[in-house]
Amino acid sequence: MSEKRKTSDRRLLVNALSVVMILIGVLTIALFCLTVLNDPGIQLVLNWTPGDDDRQAPSLLLIFLERFGIIVSALFIGAGAFFIAIGWRLRHGHIRTAYWARILLLWLAIGIGAYIALAIFNILNSAAMDREPVDWGALVNEVAPALLVMLGAGALWYWVDRNIDTLFSGEDSLIGRETRLAWNLLIPTLTIFVLVAARPLEQTFIRSLTDKRFAGSAVPQFVGLENYANLLTIRADTVACRRSDPDDPCSTRANGAIRWESIDRELLRAGYRTVAYIPVGNDQSIAISGLDDDFIEAIGTTVVFTVISVALELIIGLFMAMVVNSKFRGRGAMRAIMLVPWAIPTVISARLWELMLKDTSAGIFNKILLDLGAIESPLAWLADPSLQIPTAIIVDVWKTAPFMALLLLAGLQVIPSDLHEAASVDGASPVRRFFSITLPLLRPAIAIALIFRTLDALRVFDLFNVLFGRQQLSMATYNFETLVSNQLDGYASAISVIIFIFISIFAFIYVRLLNVES
Amino acid sequence: MVQSTPPTTTIFGLTPKELRARLQQALLYFLVILVAVYALFPFYWAFVTSFKTESEMFQSATYLPRDPTLENYQYVFSDGSFLLSLRNSALVSSAASIFALVAGSFAAYALGRLRFRGRVALLYVVLSMTMFPAISILSGLYTIVRQLGFFGTSLSLLVTYPVFTLPFTVWVLTSFFKGLPGEIEQAATVDGCTPFQTFRLILLPLTAPALVTTGLLAFVQSWNEYLFALNFTATNPSAQTVPVAIALFTGESDMQEPIAQIMAAAMVVTIPLVALVLVFQNRIVEGLTAGAVKG
Repeated sequence: MSEKRKTSDRRLLVNALSVVMILIGVLTIALFCLTVLNDPGIQLVLNWTPGDDDRQAPSLLLIFLERFGIIVSALFIGAGAFFIAIGWRLRHGHIRTAYWARILLLWLAIGIGAYIALAIFNILNSAAMDREPVDWGALVNEVAPALLVMLGAGALWYWVDRNIDTLFSGEDSLIGRETRLAWNLLIPTLTIFVLVAARPLEQTFIRSLTDKRFAGSAVPQFVGLENYANLLTIRADTVACRRSDPDDPCSTRANGAIRWESIDRELLRAGYRTVAYIPVGNDQSIAISGLDDDFIEAIGTTVVFTVISVALELIIGLFMAMVVNSKFRGRGAMRAIMLVPWAIPTVISARLWELMLKDTSAGIFNKILLDLGAIESPLAWLADPSLQIPTAIIVDVWKTAPFMALLLLAGLQVIPSDLHEAASVDGASPVRRFFSITLPLLRPAIAIALIFRTLDALRVFDLFNVLFGRQQLSMATYNFETLVSNQLDGYASAISVIIFIFISIFAFIYVRLLNVES
Repeated sequence: MVQSTPPTTTIFGLTPKELRARLQQALLYFLVILVAVYALFPFYWAFVTSFKTESEMFQSATYLPRDPTLENYQYVFSDGSFLLSLRNSALVSSAASIFALVAGSFAAYALGRLRFRGRVALLYVVLSMTMFPAISILSGLYTIVRQLGFFGTSLSLLVTYPVFTLPFTVWVLTSFFKGLPGEIEQAATVDGCTPFQTFRLILLPLTAPALVTTGLLAFVQSWNEYLFALNFTATNPSAQTVPVAIALFTGESDMQEPIAQIMAAAMVVTIPLVALVLVFQNRIVEGLTAGAVKG
């Protein structure tokens, strides 16, 4: 009799828990929808009345995407749906479902706890910023409801945790246990990724389709692919060389380069600017022109910079790694010394090089070269456009070759030394040993170092920003100038998206060519 | 005359074989010195410059200061703001690398050791986080940092630095976990360990070298970060980190950059890092080596 009673009690409790879980799910979704509806931005659009300034009404979709986005909405609604689904299945009383319910309740409590901590921090911080006493009443008002929900969820979690074996039955599987543990362990990383990478990246994609301005209050409008069209439109025209008289030979500049006619006046008026001339034959060339010549040039600069500096870094890095991998006294100290350039912040090392490369004999580089008699007058390393990219390469190679060396050193150490000894006994020369033992076995390490460095070099920012400012732009500094100096958020976002796609293509080609996966 | 013994020519009293070994040794030391000069010369130049006077900046360069002065260091420490930024940098970088290690080792254990659906997809999601420049999420992060109310505080850096510290940490630690033999867990399971106990008590201690390496790399990356720090903390002097503080040095006159003072500050900032690298250099190589096995 009492056994039966217990069973019915148990059923009642399980059903109650099931209902509570479904309720939490429904409430989550409802709360999210209410937040969206009450959002000031959304409200503004809903209550929009065409004013005298006859501005176009802002797009509801755009405001929604800007304020909430797809990822965050999907997460909230997905979490709600997960609660409902687990709640619904909970009535079968199976212990596997109960384990999932326990996880959900725990993270619900932790999530609300984080929200409360954030709210308290914000109230205290704004009070401290305004030098006003803290309004404790407002604080309690703000936090109390959330605190109650958190304590409720916490208590429920504790209760489920305590009674999970008596209330529920069934077998747990090893795979199920590992899956639950895995998701528990991944939640911190995934949360931070959504918050600081996925969501901002999503916003960048959305903004690239609008005319938004950085930190501006004007309501942005959709402009479709206009930003992309402006950035990527390139055309090629054949132009003749410039002659002072139809019968004269082509006129040239002081440095011997041929002077070309400019492109059609109509094109210039439409905004086309020529980036480069590719000579075909003696008196004709193809003029490559684009609507945003700065960007096209920045792409060219960045690619040239990347290819040359990564190649040099690989050679110098490999050399350094092999030197510090040999046996000599003070090897430990030497390995640390090797890393010094990499440990100096780029902002500072760029300044340091700026100092060493001064365009008078106050710059040590010019002084050494003058003393050696290699040059007759000091060079303007930073101001002369033809020296700017080589300078950037020198500075970057100096700074990052050590990092390359570090990764390669790790690879060198895995090569068993008896391989070298055996080859040496067989009479293989050091050069032969390098090419047929070291290099092939180092391939995985080289592949990884190359990928890391290439992606880094394509994203180069600090170095160009400090050394050249706006004089010589890399893709990332052009992006920065557009965003921060010109405040063109929409346009800058389109640049970001193009860089992102560009780098992904590089990464894909690399992964394929070097066969990293195997 | 008939030679009865094989000819032994000696140069400087050494047989050819000995001579070759000596020459090789000399060449090696020459190369070592070459690497040392390559790595240290700019650092030496910063060091020397930090003792030069402002007026010497415009005269022909000399390898030693004409009249060494401590003025630049006095300037750096004259008000508390540089020390404050040092403290900020130390706190932010330590917290960021500890967070990267904790969250990263959890994620890496899950991705490298546990069986669950979606594992490979998640691994690629983590890797894709390294494919865009920091600048491309700057405007989105600016919005989020403002929404969280972190703008102008060190917390803004603490939440944004995982963008670059976490993918690398997860990546290196995952390959490290994968490289450990599979029998470890079987033995632990037989002994009655739960998977999390296996992770905490057995696998984590085994990965100590990789933890030191990735922690140190994350620390250096955070310590040197400039873009986020500039945009999120420049408005609030009490939250600035060292790179921002140095970039915003004004010097005594507005006309020129206070380059000697910047170099003095650079010395103060870099020497702790160099010391850190010196202490851990063996561990760094060791950690990366183990990770590279299956990399």
